Parts: sequence; structure tokens; C-alpha cells
Amino acid sequence: ERGRSGPRGREMEGPTEGEATMTKLAQWLWALALLGSAWAALTLGALDLPSSCREVLWPLPAYLLVSAGCYALATVGYRVATFHDCEDAARELQSQIQEARADLSRRGMRF
Amino acid sequence: QATGTDQVVGLGLVAVSLIIFTYYTAWVILLPFIDSQHVIHKYFLPRAYAVAIPLAAGLLLLLFVGLFITYVMLKNQKGTKKAQ
Repeated sequence: ERGRSGPRGREMEGPTEGEATMTKLAQWLWALALLGSAWAALTLGALDLPSSCREVLWPLPAYLLVSAGCYALATVGYRVATFHDCEDAARELQSQIQEARADLSRRGMRF
Repeated sequence: QATGTDQVVGLGLVAVSLIIFTYYTAWVILLPFIDSQHVIHKYFLPRAYAVAIPLAAGLLLLLFVGLFITYVMLKNQKGTKKAQ
């Protein structure tokens, strides 16, 4: 019973938090929509830009995509390189398992 | 703990991503401001590829991810059927 109340409690928190501010997804979508509309306006010729600026402008969405991909790849690589064991967490988990086993066997469950 | 190969692979990934990022930045952002007769233009493909290659790579990636997911799900389905 106690174990179950944890995740459910967090689920209850979720929507209220989302109503108060925007969810992360909505924030990202808004930012992308803003950037995209600015890009579209500039590419369609809202301002008179020199031709070299114009040439930089039109592949910018692809550039954004590529830099996001590079960032993701670099993050994965960095985390792989600096991966380490969590010995304290392992010890804590083991002690919790022992505790749970003792509790359950006290209530008559056999392993 | 990260072993030697882990570190090599991880730092290799970081290096690859940095190389791709700098090359692509030079290609897309800097190249239009350099005179079109300059020698540096020999080291870059035409500009249309700057969009076409990432798009093709992304589509291929999505295709492979989709194939992988369907493969895994089909395999799981077979496993549960056997178990029943």
C-alpha cells in the first residue's frame, strides 16, 4: 500500500503543475512556432536582406536540426565516457531489499 | 565504472559530433560570406546538399527505427504466443 501511494501521488501532482504553467512540450512547441514563423516571414521577403544573408537564411531549419543532433550525440558520448557506478545507491537499494524481505517474511510470505 | 573502451568510444562520439558541427556551421553559415571564387569552395558540396543530406539521413534514421520497432514487436508477439 505504501509503495503504491508514491507514484500515484506524483501523478496527481502532474496536471495541476501543467495548468499553473505551460508544460515543457507546450513551451517547446511555442518556441518552435515562433522561430518558424519568423523564419518563414524572413524567407518570404518581409525585410530587404542582402543576398548572402538570404542564402544563410534558407537552410536554417536544417541547421537547427543538425546542431540538435550533434548536441544529442555529444551528450550521449560524454555520458558514456564519464559513466560511473553508483555504489551508495546500490548499498541503499540492497538495504531496502533486505528490509522489504524481512517485512514480508514477518507477514508470512515465503521466498 | 567507465572502462578504457567506454572512454574511447564516448570521447570519439563527442569528437565526431564536434567535427560535424563545425564543418556544417562553416558550410551553411560562413560560406555565403566568402567570395565565390575563393579556393575554400572546392572543399564543400553545392549548397542544395546542405539541406538534402540531413533530410535523407533523418528519413533513413526514422526508417531504421521503425523497422527495428516492428521487428522487436513481432518477435515479442511470437514469444507470447509460444508461451501460451
